[in-house]
Amino acid sequence: MVEMAIFIDVSKCTGCRSCQVACKNWNQLKAEKTTNRGTHENPPDLSANTWNRVRFNEVVNDGKLQWLFLNDRCRHCEEAPCMFAAEDVPGAIIKDKSGAVIFTEKTKQLKYEDVRGSCPFDIPRYDEKTGQIYKCTMCIDRITNGLKPACVTACPTGTLNFGPKAEMLKLANKRVEQLGGDAAIYPGEEYNTFWVLPETEENYGLEAKATVSTSRKFAWNKILSPWGTLGLAAGFIGCLSKADTVTDQEQTR
Amino acid sequence: MTNHWIDLKNSDCILAMGSNPAENHPISFKWVTKAMENGATLISVDPRFTRTSAKADIYSSLRSGTDIPFLGGMIKYILDNNQYFKEYICEYTNATFLVSPDFKLPGDNDGVFSGLEGTKTKEGYVNGKYDKKTWAFQMDENGIPKKDKTLKDPNCVFQLLKKHYSRYNLDKVEQITGTPQEKLLQVYKTYAKTGKSNKSGTIMYAMGWTQHTVGTQNIRTMSIIQLLLGNIGIAGGGVNALRGESNVQGSTDHCLLFHILPGYLKTPKASQPTFKEYNQVYTPKSNDGMSANWWQNYPKYSASLLRELYGTDVSLEEAYTYMPKLDDGANYSWLTIFDEAYKGNINGLFSWGQNPACSGANSNKTRQSMAKMDWLVSVNIFDNETTSFWKAPDMNPKEIKTEVFMLPCAASYEKEGSITNSGRWMQWRYKASEPPGEALPDGDIITDLFLKIKKLYEKDGGTFGEPIKKLRWHKHFDSHVIAKEINGYFLEDKEIKGKLYKKGTLVPSFAYLQDDGSTSSGNWLYCNSYTEKGNMAARRKKSDPSGIGLYAEWSWCWPVNRRILYNRASVDKNGKPWASDKPVISWNGTKWTGDVPDGGWPPMSAGSKSRYPFIMQKDGYGQIFGPGRADGPFSEHYEPLECPVEKNFMSPQFVNPTIKRWDMEGIGTKMDARATCDPRFPIVCTTYRVSEHWQTGVMTRWQPWLVEMQPSMFVEMSKELAKLKQIKNGTIVTVKSLRGKVDAVAIVTQRFKPFTVAGTTVHEVGIPWHYGWVTTAERKYDSGDKKPELFTFGDSANLVTPNIGDANTMIPESKAFMVDVIRKEGS
Repeated sequence: MVEMAIFIDVSKCTGCRSCQVACKNWNQLKAEKTTNRGTHENPPDLSANTWNRVRFNEVVNDGKLQWLFLNDRCRHCEEAPCMFAAEDVPGAIIKDKSGAVIFTEKTKQLKYEDVRGSCPFDIPRYDEKTGQIYKCTMCIDRITNGLKPACVTACPTGTLNFGPKAEMLKLANKRVEQLGGDAAIYPGEEYNTFWVLPETEENYGLEAKATVSTSRKFAWNKILSPWGTLGLAAGFIGCLSKADTVTDQEQTR
Repeated sequence: MTNHWIDLKNSDCILAMGSNPAENHPISFKWVTKAMENGATLISVDPRFTRTSAKADIYSSLRSGTDIPFLGGMIKYILDNNQYFKEYICEYTNATFLVSPDFKLPGDNDGVFSGLEGTKTKEGYVNGKYDKKTWAFQMDENGIPKKDKTLKDPNCVFQLLKKHYSRYNLDKVEQITGTPQEKLLQVYKTYAKTGKSNKSGTIMYAMGWTQHTVGTQNIRTMSIIQLLLGNIGIAGGGVNALRGESNVQGSTDHCLLFHILPGYLKTPKASQPTFKEYNQVYTPKSNDGMSANWWQNYPKYSASLLRELYGTDVSLEEAYTYMPKLDDGANYSWLTIFDEAYKGNINGLFSWGQNPACSGANSNKTRQSMAKMDWLVSVNIFDNETTSFWKAPDMNPKEIKTEVFMLPCAASYEKEGSITNSGRWMQWRYKASEPPGEALPDGDIITDLFLKIKKLYEKDGGTFGEPIKKLRWHKHFDSHVIAKEINGYFLEDKEIKGKLYKKGTLVPSFAYLQDDGSTSSGNWLYCNSYTEKGNMAARRKKSDPSGIGLYAEWSWCWPVNRRILYNRASVDKNGKPWASDKPVISWNGTKWTGDVPDGGWPPMSAGSKSRYPFIMQKDGYGQIFGPGRADGPFSEHYEPLECPVEKNFMSPQFVNPTIKRWDMEGIGTKMDARATCDPRFPIVCTTYRVSEHWQTGVMTRWQPWLVEMQPSMFVEMSKELAKLKQIKNGTIVTVKSLRGKVDAVAIVTQRFKPFTVAGTTVHEVGIPWHYGWVTTAERKYDSGDKKPELFTFGDSANLVTPNIGDANTMIPESKAFMVDVIRKEGS
């Protein structure tokens, strides 16, 4: 199998959340008990039973109201920091040749805080019942059998796309060109799941991540040298001060 | 839809108004997105900034219930700025027709058209009815409408149109709608650009337009715009109703409603005792040889339907006497049914695939009316508020005598058959799995029921038993057998146009149906769907030779597989497409290519051999002037029954004069109260849906993956209103009207903004209608009651909606009424 990728064209997302349901359906994930918190966004966070989730952001820029939808999920990094955190348990986290980063049953032997803390995007989640760590699998059981990931199949608008990475990048770059303005590929090209954001990352609340644990900082330091991307590190540390100020995704910027 | 879902991609400008397709018709957005990729502009007009608005190039708000002024202003803009498609309106619409000089417009007649008879009150007329004598066209000596192709005659439709909508100036429209003038102009300018001959604009509308006391006229206003801009019949144009349920088009085609029979034939009335008289009333006559006047074939379709129902053993005349007749002037729509039930005049109810306890307006009245019946049969796939109405939190089961039966039925995936989507595509579906337990397909249930009733009539006799005893019915339900009977058969050998059609073979299309009883057809519109060539609806060929997404051999579409209605209006008089880059049909000198044309006659330049494009209209022209409606040949603004203003800024006539006023003494009941401009209920309220739930939630509230995304009844409101009412985001509040109240979680959002209406601030809130008490945690669950995996919170939005109907359709005004929103103690 050639290297594959999911390309998420945010400009086309209507927030219908068929991706959320399709993921739960295919992977048979339990529904969570939720409440309406004064927003349409739900469940409130990723979890062992929620592997992708649409964030709803209401923002006003230059007096113009925007309602932005962003499907959040694992980026399937080419060089995944979580794999460094799992170095001690071979086979716990695997980078498949399809491009998918896979958490196996052996993640039970890992320290959850290290794995979650190592992820610059705060994706991995732990299930107390099974003791295992979970996240998006890129539907490895589907894609290795010639099917698209469940979320991509369910998406009505062409927001979610799946195919050989080279093709997906071509599509993404073309879309950036078409959209113009602040449009850019996020987080970058070194990932097997990437987005085209029509607006700046800030508008989607992407720079303001949830709290960062000590172990996460530790893990980050651990991986800094193999990555050698000081700019990225600076950006990351820069957001620490804002970390606990953002709780409501529908806040005004 | 005059067009179809895929055709949206051909549009240059899409107006989503009275609809929220991104949320409620998510798949349609595939084609909206494609159109936008090709450079189309998307305009979203909605009181609230929706998921559709989030994707739109232009968003404009408007106060609920003011669509006619908003669009009336657009008509004025199009006319003032010569943006209309002159050749199209002169040749294909009745803009040139001369109307009786006695006709009066509302501007000259206290806000009503000439001919109104009714009771005059300080709010204008109520419970009125129009004598349409003055709405008639002037006729020439041959009995053909007189026309002025220069459009200058003061009595011609064009001049009347201009005069009528001249009152809808920007100041007036802004004053009523609360939409700033610059926003109005931006929408008008953008949409009016589609008046160019090679450009197309389309409207996507849904219940945001129909659920008003002026619902039909909302759509009429847009139809006028579409005709002025030459947008009907073309690719990427049309008037497109997004139906609220996957097969609601099919159920309407097959006569779900009381006033029609299959194929939009009329239900007979008591004053039409014979088949001959019935046919005479409903068969229009045109003296213009170039008008196809398609309904002149009415007797062929009605005769074929009677043959389908009663076979050849009884004469057509006798079969007609078996048909149920409506009392003249009586109305048997939803609101009437539950009003009569509330008054104790209806003993029993079949609630089939419905949940009236939540879905109908004024739920308290509906729920109370169920308690007055002797029996109620609920046919559904899950427990719901209707099935269990007698044990609702506010009911005392001991006091309720209604005997309730629950018949579990198969879901759509558990049976074979067809559905007809909004684009009129009849698509065959296969059975995916067996229904669980005792559940049966609807067809099996109704067959069992009918055969039992027939047996009882045969055994015990009974008044007027012939219609039941003689009705044709099969012992077992088979969807293929029924689909073929809907198409129709030759009942004897018949030679047509030199070709012999054998008795017992399927009729190839409705052009072959006969008025002499030699053919049958359960629904003439579907004649051609299941022929000797096979089941057309099951076709799955993916090629598109048209290049505009017609996919002619994928499924089947009524009528006769024509994918775009009125497509003869997509070409000029020589048969050349207005838009050469997206031709629907094209005349090659000897025949039409492309879509199935609206009749094979040559183009208009062929003179008397040709036919005008609007073949379903008696005169053959698109109706800018529409005298068929109950409330006016043009649209006129009237306020919703409940509104935040003390008068209609347009005229002395406050609300639609022709609606049935249930709130008036001697008509409705104490449950039908109205509170307009009442300080106790100062906030406009509207209702809507979300992507995650469907209808009253009977199917979705039991589905935990959907409930986790939208767990509770909510009310969306502006930050300004929340501040005024000291309501915090995410807290529980009560929404109440004069008729009832419902608890909801407050979503405080910038997506709602207060309106400035005639200088004062008007607040509006919105609530979804998917919830009900059956799936909540607070109710009592008896042993044996199904318990949802995840509970929902809150009850139906219809607890607060009014039961007042549109003047033509009786669809309740669930989209604009008055409420208050208050903090709940402890929140």
